Amino acid sequence: MSLQQKISLRKALIDGFWSGLLALVIFGPISGLVLQGYEVRNELIRPLLMALLVGGGRFLVSCFAQSEKGKRYVDGLAGKRGAGVTVASLKKGKYQYLVIPVLILAGLCLPFVLGKYWLTVVILALIYVLLGLGLNIVVGLAGMLDLGYVAFYAVGAYTLAMGAQYFHLGFWTLLPIAGIGAALFGALLGFPVLRMHGDYLAIVTLGFGEIIRLVLNNLLDITGGPNGASAPPPTLFGLEFTRRAKQGGIPFHEYFHISYSPTYKYIFIYLVLFTIVCLMILFVTRLKQMPMGRAWEALREDEIACRSLGINHVTVKLSAFMMGAMVGGTAGMFFATYQGFINPSSFTFFESALILAIVVLGGLGSTVGVIIAALVLTILPEVLRDFAEYRVLMFGIAMVLMMVWKPRGLIRIKRRAFNAKGVTS
Amino acid sequence: MDSYIIGQQLLNGLTLGSIYGLIAIGYTMVYGIIGMINFAHGDIYMISAYLTAIILAVIFSFGVTSLPFALLVTLLLTMVITGVYGWAIERVAYRPLRGSTRLAPLISAIGMSLVLQNYVQVSQGARNQGIPILIDGVVRLGGEEQFVQITHIQILIVLASFIGMGVLTYIIQKTSLGRQCRATQQDQKMAAILGINTNRIISTVFVIGSAMAALAGVLVTLNYGSFDFYIGFIIGIKAFTAAVLGGIGSLPGAMLGGIVLGMSEGLFAGFVSADYKDVFAFSLLVLVLIFRPSGLLGKPEIEKV
Amino acid sequence: MFKLSLRKYLVLTCVIGAVALAGNANAAGTIKIGVAGPHTGGYAAFGEQFWRGAEQAAKDINAAGGINGSMIKVVKADDACEPKQAVSVANRLMDVDRVQAVAGHYCSSSTIPASEIYDDAGVLVMTPGSTNPKVTERGMKGVFRMCGRDDQQGAVAANFIINKLKAKRVAVIHDKDSYGQGLADAMIARMKQLGVSEVLYEGLTRGEKDFNSLVTKVKSVKADVVFFGGLHTEAGPLVRQLREQGISAAFVSGDAINSADFVTAAGGPRYVDGVYMTFGQDPLTLKTGRDVIEKFRASGYEPEGYTLYSYATVQALTAAMDATNSTDLDKMADWLHSHSVNTVLGEKSWDSKGDLKVSDFVMYQWDDKGKFRQL
Repeated sequence: MSLQQKISLRKALIDGFWSGLLALVIFGPISGLVLQGYEVRNELIRPLLMALLVGGGRFLVSCFAQSEKGKRYVDGLAGKRGAGVTVASLKKGKYQYLVIPVLILAGLCLPFVLGKYWLTVVILALIYVLLGLGLNIVVGLAGMLDLGYVAFYAVGAYTLAMGAQYFHLGFWTLLPIAGIGAALFGALLGFPVLRMHGDYLAIVTLGFGEIIRLVLNNLLDITGGPNGASAPPPTLFGLEFTRRAKQGGIPFHEYFHISYSPTYKYIFIYLVLFTIVCLMILFVTRLKQMPMGRAWEALREDEIACRSLGINHVTVKLSAFMMGAMVGGTAGMFFATYQGFINPSSFTFFESALILAIVVLGGLGSTVGVIIAALVLTILPEVLRDFAEYRVLMFGIAMVLMMVWKPRGLIRIKRRAFNAKGVTS
Repeated sequence: MDSYIIGQQLLNGLTLGSIYGLIAIGYTMVYGIIGMINFAHGDIYMISAYLTAIILAVIFSFGVTSLPFALLVTLLLTMVITGVYGWAIERVAYRPLRGSTRLAPLISAIGMSLVLQNYVQVSQGARNQGIPILIDGVVRLGGEEQFVQITHIQILIVLASFIGMGVLTYIIQKTSLGRQCRATQQDQKMAAILGINTNRIISTVFVIGSAMAALAGVLVTLNYGSFDFYIGFIIGIKAFTAAVLGGIGSLPGAMLGGIVLGMSEGLFAGFVSADYKDVFAFSLLVLVLIFRPSGLLGKPEIEKV
Repeated sequence: MFKLSLRKYLVLTCVIGAVALAGNANAAGTIKIGVAGPHTGGYAAFGEQFWRGAEQAAKDINAAGGINGSMIKVVKADDACEPKQAVSVANRLMDVDRVQAVAGHYCSSSTIPASEIYDDAGVLVMTPGSTNPKVTERGMKGVFRMCGRDDQQGAVAANFIINKLKAKRVAVIHDKDSYGQGLADAMIARMKQLGVSEVLYEGLTRGEKDFNSLVTKVKSVKADVVFFGGLHTEAGPLVRQLREQGISAAFVSGDAINSADFVTAAGGPRYVDGVYMTFGQDPLTLKTGRDVIEKFRASGYEPEGYTLYSYATVQALTAAMDATNSTDLDKMADWLHSHSVNTVLGEKSWDSKGDLKVSDFVMYQWDDKGKFRQL
C-alpha cells in the first residue's frame, strides 16, 4: 500500500523522543523525588514510566497524523475551530415533535427508578442546569463575562436559611422572595459595572463574588459564619417530608399511612425542581425570540451599532444581569433546601468557574448544550469516585480534553431559519 | 499611633505587594499577548515552590556547603523546569484552542489548574512541606524596644521584583523579540504575514511568564519556608487582581497594582480589621475600576466602528 | 445533527449507569465502614490521616479474627470539606456502598449535613475530628465523636494561660473556620469568667502565608500571650513571623498543630521552641498505644494528628458491633452510651449526647528539638 510508505518513521521517532524528553523534565522532579521533611525520597521509576508513555503515545500519534485518515482528521479539527454562523435547517426531523414530550415523561419517571444516591446526584445536576441556564443569559446571550455568579447563588441560598431562621417563613413563601431578592441584588451590583468591558467586568464580578462570601463568613452573629445555617425542606400543602414534623405540619408518610422513607423528600424536591427547570427552559427559549432577547444578542455582537440604533444599552444589560441573577437565586434556594445546611464554603470562586465551564462547554448561548454540559460536569465527578484520589485529577484532564475536542462547545448555537412566507421552523 | 508601627506596616505591605507584583507580571504578559486569563499561572508558581525544595534537598544531599552556589543552581534549574511547564501547558491546553472563542482557553486553564494541583497532591502527598531557613539576616532601624525591620530575603524580593519588571519592560520595549511580541499582540494574522512566527512568540511569552513565577516561587519559599499544593489558588487570584488593578497588559501596572494591593491589605489589616482585609482589597479594586475602567496604568480601550 | 448527538449521549448515560451498578456488589461476610473525609482539596492532609488510621485499624482487627467472624472493609469517601460533596458522598455511602457505620467527616460543616443523611438511613456515625459543639447538640442519637469539643479544649487553654502563665494581655487570632474560631471563642469565654478580656481578636485567611501586618499589630498591643485557633499550616508561618519581628510572647494553640509538619511549616525547631498546645492524653504513655504506634512506624508512617483518633474510632465502632452482634443504630448507640471501650487512646466512654465523658485535654510544650512533652 502506498499509504504505508508515506509515513516517515524517522519523523515520528524524533517527535516521540522529544516529547518523552520534555515529559521527563516535567514529571521528573515532582513525581520522581518525593519530599520528606527536608529530604527527598527517590521514586525515579515513576517519571521514567510516564515519560516512556508520553513518548510512545506521541510516536503513535505522529504516525497516525501522517496517514491519509489522520491528515483528514487533523484538518477537520482545525476546521471546527473557525468562527462563522450556522443556520438551522428548515426541515423537521421525522420524529422531532416526539422528542420533547418523551424527554419530559422520562424526566418525570426518573426519580422512581433511581436509587437515593443517584437521585441526589441528579438533583444536584438539575441545580447546575438551572445555574447554567442563568449564567448563559449573562455570558452566552448578553456577552458579559461574569466570574462572580456564585454571589447570586449564595444570596438565594441564604435567603431561605435566614428567612426561615428569623422570620419563620416556609419554602414556598421564600421561593419568589429569593428570586426577586437575587434579581434586585443583581441590579445593585450590575449598575456600577455596566460601563466596563470584557475582562475588567470579569474581575469586578469576581471581586463581588468574593466579597459576598467573605461577608457571609465574617458576619458570625447573623449568618452563623463558618458554622453555617440550616435550611428547611419544602412542604407539600403543609405536609412535611421528615420523620417527625418540625415545622408544625403533619409528616407526609403519616398522612398517607405509608412507612417513612427519606427518599420521598428527594423525589418531591426533584419533581418541583424538574418542573421549574422545564419552565425555565421554555422561558429562556421564548425570551430569545422576544425583543429583549434579540437586543441581548445584538448587544453582544456590536454594542456601538446597537446604541446608534436606539437600543438603551443600560436597561438591556441590566435586564440580562437581573434575569441571570434571578435564576441563580432560585437555584441557590433549591441547593439550600436539598442540602438542609449551608455555609460559605459552598460558594467559592471555584463554583463560579465550574458554572462558567458549563456554559462555555455547552456552547455559548445554546440551551441544549448547557443542559448536557451541566449533566456531564456534575455527574462525571461522581462517576469518577472509583478512582479515589485521582478523581479530581481526571476531572481536570477531562475538562481540558473536552475543551480541545469541542472548542466552541458541545452544541454550536444555530441561527433560526425562516422560510419565504416568514413562518419559523 | 506609634510611628515605628506605621513604618513597619508600610514595609510589610511593600514586601507582600512585591510578591503579588512578581506573580502578576506573568499574568499580565500572557494577557497582553493573547488576551487570555491564564488561571493556571498560580499553580505554576506552586510547582516552582515544590521544585525549589526538591532541588535544594538534592543539592544538599550531594554535600554542597556553599549556600550562594546552591541557591543559584536552584534558581536556574527551577526557572528552566518551570519554563518547560509553561511551554508544555501552552502547547497542550491552549494552542489547540487558538482562533476559537475567547472563553475556551479560560475554561481549559481552569481545568489545567485542577490538573496541576492534583498531580502534585497525588505525587507528593497532601502534607504541608517546607524548606529550612537559609537566609535569616535582618536589618533593624531604631532602638532595642522599638524598631522597624526588614529581613534580607524581603529586601531581595523587593529588589528582584523591580529588577524583573525593569528587565522585562526593556525586553518588550527595546529588543527585536519585544517588537515581535508587540506586533503579535496588535494583530496576530498581520504579524504572521510579515514573517513573525507567532506560535513561537506566544510560547516564548509563556516561558518567560512561567520563569517569572519561578523566580517568585524560589524567593517566596525562601521567605515563608512553607507551602502545599493549594497555595497557588489564593495567591493566583490576588496576583490576578493586582494585574487588573494596575491595568492588565502593562508591566509597570502589574508592579504598581501589586504594591497598591499589598499596601492596602497590610494597612487595613494592621489598623482596622484583618477579618475584612480581603473585602477591603476587592472593594478598592471595584472602586478603582469604576473610576478608571482600564486600571491604574492601562490604556483605555478605543472602540472603533 | 441533533438526533445523532442525542444518541451519543444516550450511550454515555448507559455507560454511566453501568458503572454505577458495578459498584453495588456487596460481598457477604464483610462489614463495611465508610471513612469519610477530605481526601482531595486543601484539607487533604487530614483525610490522609483518617484513612491511614482506619486502614491500619481494620487490618489489625481482621488479623485478630474480625467481628464475630466477619471481616471489616473500609471504604474511602471523599468530601473535600465541602458540604455539597459531603451530602453526595453520604448518600453514596448509604445507597451504593451500603456501609454499616461511618467513621468520619473532618470538617464540622461536612459532618453536620452528612449526619442528617446517616440518621435518616439509620446508620451510626462517629467523627474522629469534628470538634464543633453543634455536631452533637442537635439531638441525634447516632452521632458520636472520638475527639473533645472546642469548648472543653478552650477552657483548658484559658485556665493555663491565666493561672499558669499569669497573662494579662492576651491576643487571640483565629482562622475564620468553624474549628479555629470555635476554639478561640471558647477560650475567650472561659478567660472572661476568670476575669481577663482579650486585647486583640482577629481572623486570618486560611491558605495565606503572610501574616506580617497581623504580627505587627500584635506587637502594637504589647501582648504577653498569643492564642491561635487554627491549623498547623497557618500556625507555623505565624509563629515564625512573630519571632522574626522580635516578639517573645508565649504562643498557645490547640490540638490541630500537633503534627511534625508544624515544625517544617515554622521553618525549623528553633521557632517552635516554647510553643504550648492542648492535646489529648499522650497515647505513648499507654501500652496499647505504643504497640500500634510501633506498627505505624514500621510501615514508614508517623501516626500524627488524627491518625490515632481515626484508629480509635474504628475500634469503638467495631467494639459496639461485636458486643451487640448487630449494626443497628439503636442497639449500637445504646451500647456505646452505657459501656466504655478500650481504644488506642485509652478507655473511652460517651455521654447521652455522644460526646466523650471525660475530656482529657492537657497542656504540652514544644522544645528546641521539634519534639513536645506533657507539662
